Amino acid sequence: MITLTINEKEITLDKPVTVLEAARRAGIKVPTLCHHEALKPYGGCRLCVVEVEKMPRLQTACTLTVADGMVVTTESEAISKVRRGILEFLLINHPLDCPYCDKAGECELQDMVDKYGPTVGRFGEEKRKVPESHKDHILARNMERCIVCTRCVRMCGEVQGASAISIIGRGNRSRMEPFSSAAFDCEYCGNCLTVCPVGAILSRLYIHSFRPWQLDKEVETVCPYCGVGCSLVVQVRDDSIKRVVPRFDLGLNRGLLCSRGRFGYEYISSPERLKTPLVRKNGRLEESTWSEALSLVAEKLGQIKSRDGGTAIAGISSPRCCNEDNYVFQKFMRMTCGTNNIDTVSRTGFASAQKYFEDLLGQGITANMIDGLKNSDVILVLGGDPAAINPVLGLSIREAFRRGAKVLVVGNAKGLERYKTLQVMPEVFREADVLESLLIEIYGARGIRGEKPALDSGIRELSERGCERTGERDFDELRMTLLESVSISIVFGPDLVQRADGHRSLFAVSGLTYLLEARLYLLSEKPNEQGVIDAGCAPDMLPGGRPLSVQEFRRKFEQSWNGAIPSDDGMTLFEMIEGAANGKIKGMYIMGENPVFNLPNGSYIKEALKALDFLAVQDIFLTDTAEIADVVLPAKGWTEKTGTVTNLERRVQLQKKAVETMFGMEDWRIISEVSGRMGYEMNYKEAADVMEEMAKVSPLYRDLTYHEIGKGDCLWPYHGEPLRGEMKTVPEGAAMERDYTEDFYLSVERPLFHSGTLSGKSPALMKIYPEPALRIGTGTAEKGGLKDGDKVQFSTRTGSREAFVSIDDAIRDNRVYFSNNFRGRGALDLMTYNIDKVTKAAGIEGCEVKIKKL
Amino acid sequence: MFNDTVLKEIDDIRARYPERRSALLPSLYIAQKEFGHLSSEALLCVAKTLNLPEADVRGAASFYSMYRHKPLGRHLIQLCTNVSCMLLGSEKLADFISEKFRVEPGGTSADGRFSFVIMECIGACGTAPAMLVDTDFYDNLSEEGIVEILEKYK
Amino acid sequence: MEKILLKNTDTGNSADINEYVKAGGYRGLSKALGLQPGDIVDEVKKSGLRGRGGAGFPTGMKWSFAIADPKSPKYLVCNADEGEPGTFKDRPILEKNPHLLIEGMVISAYALGSERGYIYLRGEYPRAKEILDRAIDEAREKNFLGDNITGKGIKFDLTVYQGAGAYICGEETTLLESLEGKRGLPRNRPPFPVNTGAWGKPTIVNNVETLSNVPSIIERGGEAYSKIGSKFCPGPKLFSVSGRVEKPGVYELPMGTSLRDIIYAHAGGIKGGKKLKAVFPGGVSTPLLTADSIDCAMDFVSMPKAGSMLGSGAVIVMDESVCMVRVAYRTLKFFEHESCGKCVPCREGTEWLRKILERVEGGRGRNGDIELLSDVAENISGKTFCPLGDAAAGVVAGMLKNFRNEFEEHIKNA
Repeated sequence: MITLTINEKEITLDKPVTVLEAARRAGIKVPTLCHHEALKPYGGCRLCVVEVEKMPRLQTACTLTVADGMVVTTESEAISKVRRGILEFLLINHPLDCPYCDKAGECELQDMVDKYGPTVGRFGEEKRKVPESHKDHILARNMERCIVCTRCVRMCGEVQGASAISIIGRGNRSRMEPFSSAAFDCEYCGNCLTVCPVGAILSRLYIHSFRPWQLDKEVETVCPYCGVGCSLVVQVRDDSIKRVVPRFDLGLNRGLLCSRGRFGYEYISSPERLKTPLVRKNGRLEESTWSEALSLVAEKLGQIKSRDGGTAIAGISSPRCCNEDNYVFQKFMRMTCGTNNIDTVSRTGFASAQKYFEDLLGQGITANMIDGLKNSDVILVLGGDPAAINPVLGLSIREAFRRGAKVLVVGNAKGLERYKTLQVMPEVFREADVLESLLIEIYGARGIRGEKPALDSGIRELSERGCERTGERDFDELRMTLLESVSISIVFGPDLVQRADGHRSLFAVSGLTYLLEARLYLLSEKPNEQGVIDAGCAPDMLPGGRPLSVQEFRRKFEQSWNGAIPSDDGMTLFEMIEGAANGKIKGMYIMGENPVFNLPNGSYIKEALKALDFLAVQDIFLTDTAEIADVVLPAKGWTEKTGTVTNLERRVQLQKKAVETMFGMEDWRIISEVSGRMGYEMNYKEAADVMEEMAKVSPLYRDLTYHEIGKGDCLWPYHGEPLRGEMKTVPEGAAMERDYTEDFYLSVERPLFHSGTLSGKSPALMKIYPEPALRIGTGTAEKGGLKDGDKVQFSTRTGSREAFVSIDDAIRDNRVYFSNNFRGRGALDLMTYNIDKVTKAAGIEGCEVKIKKL
Repeated sequence: MFNDTVLKEIDDIRARYPERRSALLPSLYIAQKEFGHLSSEALLCVAKTLNLPEADVRGAASFYSMYRHKPLGRHLIQLCTNVSCMLLGSEKLADFISEKFRVEPGGTSADGRFSFVIMECIGACGTAPAMLVDTDFYDNLSEEGIVEILEKYK
Repeated sequence: MEKILLKNTDTGNSADINEYVKAGGYRGLSKALGLQPGDIVDEVKKSGLRGRGGAGFPTGMKWSFAIADPKSPKYLVCNADEGEPGTFKDRPILEKNPHLLIEGMVISAYALGSERGYIYLRGEYPRAKEILDRAIDEAREKNFLGDNITGKGIKFDLTVYQGAGAYICGEETTLLESLEGKRGLPRNRPPFPVNTGAWGKPTIVNNVETLSNVPSIIERGGEAYSKIGSKFCPGPKLFSVSGRVEKPGVYELPMGTSLRDIIYAHAGGIKGGKKLKAVFPGGVSTPLLTADSIDCAMDFVSMPKAGSMLGSGAVIVMDESVCMVRVAYRTLKFFEHESCGKCVPCREGTEWLRKILERVEGGRGRNGDIELLSDVAENISGKTFCPLGDAAAGVVAGMLKNFRNEFEEHIKNA
């Protein structure tokens, strides 16, 4: 126990902290400029000086550790004089352009000078002149205002880990540089922006457009982009979002954001938003009324149902929509249309993996706290770059590395280039071999665990069958490191699922998780991939993960929902597509999804959907899929409605309404309207009513209310229990025999700055990453005689594109990466697919690519 | 990029420290020698060779005054004008060099023969005034002496 | 006094290992390797050796702190970044007696349990770099460095790390930042380098001159060594004398030699028989002394009593012809140039002081400038992260205290 006195107040602490922190806990505010709660003590500004008895000179509270019996004074005439002197120093070169500066009103320097003075300047010399930098599209940089507190540099280096900026020069010639893209690996997280105390770094998205005191309101909500679900604050004026800012005391991200979350909000006010329902007349989509459009959907689906039965109808819901939307959607499909044909595009990644892992390892196996990554000894990264797919989760891996954890990467992961202990590069498409070999060796060393019979026997069989070792560099070190460690986390990305034998990787990872007693994290590209499953948008599962095949569960829901649920499992995503193509499926309802663009072989998907008798699409934009629909229904989007989403940790969070719009309807409301017109009434007045029902019927959400969710720490299972048993046997897979001997293989790039439709409609993100480029590793480029900036045509069996080459050191194999984020220029349409028999995910095929220099 | 000899040299330096970042300052000297000055390309080479963030490399390179960020003349004159040298007239010598050899402090003569830098103390206070020409050391300077010395540098 | 640090350095090739061995070099090492590491520390404690870099911290005590820290490995770093204007005392050791330093480092490393050492050499000494590199190679060849020193299974190796022009790196925590390849900004203390130094490991940073005293302490015994020089800070001391004296240079004299003797008896008095005006006794960072206050013993204990500090022992002499405003301006220009920029008072304050002094010196002084100078210096003093800002403020305060009239003259004639 340490007892000290600050301003005559006695404070007792159980652990030593800084005097600044001790004062803060006692409610005493000590002024600071260079200090920031998210950063390590620096001691540069000297404003936090305090008097400490028995110490000869003033001490900085931010760097001084408390000691028992210490007597501290934080305010006195002498201290005020020192602070005034320091502020005077800061002002000698700081321009007094507050009337023009956007920071005025929330400027820490301004506030401090207001409190401590000086009121008159005595500096009679010339101020330093530094021209404002206009180089960057996103960040405005005014180095005359900079007070060299270095918060931005420390944030970028110590926390974000991008190290894209540094102090350049020395002494009074110090400047922050460079805040420009490409060459300096700026990740555009904008976290520098959050910590800048003055107007030296500002966002071009809002400069000169408002004053902080003119905001109407601030709404705490959750980011719409990825499965991490960062908390953020939306600042609104006149029903338009002026700015998105994080808060250090809010959510799992603790003040950090990524480029998409911070700068990607403008899509919601895009002029391209769908505003009125559209109905196809004479082959063309024409503006219509809600009543006409809703009645038409009800009429058409009703006709198909009565003519061909409910199984001729299928529905695709969306991991971008809320739990409420998805819950109502599956209820509508099951009760109103009479079908279990419900799935999502997550089938190609998250949903397949999640289901497989839970079947083998138990429900909730992937429900692990992101924060816990920091405390791992070893992090094994598979199947994608966490720092791009889930950027803020990526930061926890970087943090773990800095704390001494070993980060083991299998495959390419650009965002971990400086944060990895070793990297194993499987040959292209032979990841499953490497993982199986690894599992066999770990099993050889550790033996069986004996807790899960299906896995135990599966691993034994695999080991007896054996696996061809592929001899990757550092494989042995990878194995040794895993065997020597106690606290292991496995971070699993979507890439490994997208193989026709993806289940092999999934089994191997299940086995590794089991034998190594690892925590498993499943990367998630969309904000509600977990919630969609939990809401029951799966052909074989009811809400709460209840297997449809269990009659008892079915009956319970039938009672609540007042009607019969079809007893057979429905079709999975690709079965629906096949059904559409071969006429088994006549009508389809797609909510918030764009399969034509977001699935491989889009041209084929498009033809299949065109063959439908009737296609209804509800969305916020007129997507490629909406364009071929018979009816298009405009939905409300993020910040326009309230609803819950569930992140990859299974944390249920609230996306709140922040602005009023005159157009669009909530997804759940559109569906209720259609449902009512089809004769099955849904009487929800607001989203909370849907939640109330979910909390009643789904054991996952038992007793959950918006009030509880609003606290931000509702993690799965909320008052719940494991809901379904594990598999008794490992599902039989099928091996793939194929040679991969081409020079280049096309892969889908998952860029940090894009997510697809939403990011494409966000001007800021388009400025950061305006054009898709063909990314090639240094080695392959040399082999192919390609240079950075070369214009090339690249072709697969199904199509070709033109693009500029971008050489990327972080790509270590002969894959070439092209994004699927730019409309009309996606990578996925150049590929075909082959379904994995076990997971029903699409194994991407046809990646062999020829590159021709233009 | 650096040639193999240079890469080998940098590798040897790296081996002498527990962390690769320590090889940064020595590598910057090498890059300066290879490229003449620390151009963007030179800094990028160092960053890639040591797998360090380019911003950190720039940050360090710009902190230390002996790294050159602009192309230099064929020879570099570094004259000390700190207190001890100043007390013995080095500031006048600085003016003399500027005039005689037409090179401003911080600049390079039009014929590219000399670059001229005013140095802080070079530790020759006992034989002040003193200067370095490239890596050669000269002290007890006078105007005549300087003319004679610089004659040797073409 | 018999020369210890600059012994035999008058010969042409004193840096050669054979010359050094011929003159009795590496005998201290042989003796040391026969002792237990703890005995060596005891001898150094007994000798009363204090750090010669400027702060005068007892060397034996510093070593004990590092030894007490359980972390390993431990690093021994020699601070050869003598950048304090007027200081050139380490240069003759580095260039003419490098093996004395190497021998001192090997003995120290053995005492400390360190197997890796670095000499942080200022970038402005390219010649010393060559000489040291060669000397280290020679020592390695003769088995005074390497994996099996003198066949006794002791391991220690040395690398010269070249600084690149930053005065601040002479401060030990900054030196370590620089050694790690970073910008030279001082670190917070605690933790101290003896516990968390280079690469987070216990690190002993000692000055060139300090380490060069170690062989003779071992050779003659701490007790005998402590008889040299002043009672409270024994040993020989290198004084670098520069400025307006007849015979500037480095003088090895007993610690505690009076400042007057250094200037008049050893450095030949004031150039051209002029009158002494003022002296920086230990580099520009130490408070100025006027002509009437030079009867003080130059050691770590006596100098504070005389109103100044021993510093690095760099005696800069100014005679009656020197304009003190000019000296103040030039000194502040130096400090402004060398301020690292980390803390506000130093970064902004040195610039402000320099700008005012530049005006005053250039005949553009204004009424109130003296008060402003004094106020700005006061606002820097004691508020900076490291002593650089204090030193800059101290120069201005000292000048205003002793030569206010010269400033007034400048302003009056503006």
